[in-house]
Amino acid sequence: MQKIFLIIVISLLSACAAQQRETNKLANQLNQQKPQHILEQLQETDPPERDYAQFHLNIGLLQLLSADYPASIESLTQAKKEMAVLAATSISENAAAGTVNETLRSYSGYATDRVMVHNMLALSYLFNDDIDGARVEMLQADIAMKKLASRNSLLGQLTSTHLISAVIYEMLDEQSNALISYKNAESLLKERKLPVPVGLKQALLRLSYAVDRNGQYVSYKKTYSGFPTPTKNSNNQVFSLYFDGIVSNKKQNTIMVPSGNDEQLIRISMPAYPDINHKINRAKIADKNTQLTTELIENLEVSVREDLAKEYPSILLLTTTRAIAKYELVDHANKKDSLFGILVNIVTVLTEVADLRSWNMLPSNIQFAYLETKDSELIVESLNKAQQKISLNNGSKNLLLISSLDTPVFHYQQ
Amino acid sequence: MKIKNNFLFIAFAALFLSACSTSVERLDSQKEVDLSGAWNDTDSQLVAREMVEDSLSRAWITKFVKEEGKDPAVIVGKIRNLSHEHINTNTFIADMERELINSGEVQFVAAAGAREEIREERGDQDLNATEETRKQMGQEYGADYMMQGQINTIIDVDGTTQVRFYQVNLELISIKDNRKVWVGQKKIKKLVKNSKLRE
Repeated sequence: MQKIFLIIVISLLSACAAQQRETNKLANQLNQQKPQHILEQLQETDPPERDYAQFHLNIGLLQLLSADYPASIESLTQAKKEMAVLAATSISENAAAGTVNETLRSYSGYATDRVMVHNMLALSYLFNDDIDGARVEMLQADIAMKKLASRNSLLGQLTSTHLISAVIYEMLDEQSNALISYKNAESLLKERKLPVPVGLKQALLRLSYAVDRNGQYVSYKKTYSGFPTPTKNSNNQVFSLYFDGIVSNKKQNTIMVPSGNDEQLIRISMPAYPDINHKINRAKIADKNTQLTTELIENLEVSVREDLAKEYPSILLLTTTRAIAKYELVDHANKKDSLFGILVNIVTVLTEVADLRSWNMLPSNIQFAYLETKDSELIVESLNKAQQKISLNNGSKNLLLISSLDTPVFHYQQ
Repeated sequence: MKIKNNFLFIAFAALFLSACSTSVERLDSQKEVDLSGAWNDTDSQLVAREMVEDSLSRAWITKFVKEEGKDPAVIVGKIRNLSHEHINTNTFIADMERELINSGEVQFVAAAGAREEIREERGDQDLNATEETRKQMGQEYGADYMMQGQINTIIDVDGTTQVRFYQVNLELISIKDNRKVWVGQKKIKKLVKNSKLRE
């Protein structure tokens, strides 16, 4: 009876690991296949309930990239709710994680996921022609970032969130709010020691000129010289976001050593990210006279590594606790029956897998560009893709979402 | 003994399974139920009632009746959601409309969307209805005032505790000359504490 139980445990846990490998494989295939195709494959999988948040995050993002905005809003909202519920610590899940493995804990989302979900929702609302809905998401993102803020860490503080908020406020003519968000974006970029993109400098000059011409504008004019004085005109405003690549998957680092008395094998598995090797590509946006390239505002490769680093002490603690618990279990079984002890040892070794779950279909980095033009047509060019033409209405405000994946350019216009 | 054990097992299993099943309880729509601390139907009804009561107790209405010799005609315009929540402002507008109509102190004019549909119907009657029953175009009752507003929130967070402060601002604007004849404000404050632990 005990042996049958052990076999069931092994098969159940190996099924969990297989599910994760499948999700990682699909994330890797996104660079070659259409998001719609990956979405169909992911929807066919049947994740365990504890992985629902991760599942819905990936599904929602793929639905956004497949232009199914209402479905994307539904999936991402579901993920948001799941992460909110799971934010509280579960005693039973932690007990399971401390005795069997980390994957028995529900995926509650890392700091980046909890903020980024609002970005993706805001974009879905926007492309679904609901700018007020997008605004609500950005306010919620602000609360999420405030919850995560700490004095010595930038954990969960996303420049892209401030920037998308600012663009939405500017589209709604809320100039003061837009300026505050642009300033927050600038401040985060400086803290991360990243250069401030030209589009953001122009935004700070434009909004400070509109809101506080004799104060903040003068100060920004000194900091960012060489730009013409902003003027009120009826040019088309084009805000462009570029999603470049796919963020890295976690990998498993494992060591296996015999115990001091050589009576059993002890295996320890920890999650880790590989070294960043993504080469940053840029998108180009051009009207008849000007060609711009998008500039980096968010390196998610760095953010996800920060998320994992923050969790590392607790992962290490649980891994150590688990190793001791498993050692005791095998020792106890050995004393009863040596054959049973070997079997239990095999189970403890096979069930020791690292938690490789993450929102692994996010872009590797996010870039931004801003263009003001009189032209009614733009040309957008991104990695390995034919040029795409974008039509602009006169005096319109536009947001373009460009992706390095096999997607069209998503266009919101008002 | 074995039979007794089996019976106990079945009873326990039945109890366990019944705990997992969905249960539905019909509630009085007037009963206050606040599950998450978010804006809900109780807030919507409460704010609508109090603000309409306030607006109808102010001087502008008696002044209007005295000057014009008729009840003012009001229309509810856009209520913008500037809050942190996805609030369906249509239910709030419906609550406002109901309170205004039921007050009996103002005439009420259908909103823009509904008017379009009615105009279509009149256009259709023009072609298809009999002379005696046909309603003519150009007989609409023009509103004197439009009610507009916003729902705002301020949220203060500390760990798992939140203070949610809702502020609903409404104003009644004269359509003839853009004068604001009434400005109302209703505030709701909620303390929401989330558990740090779950099952």
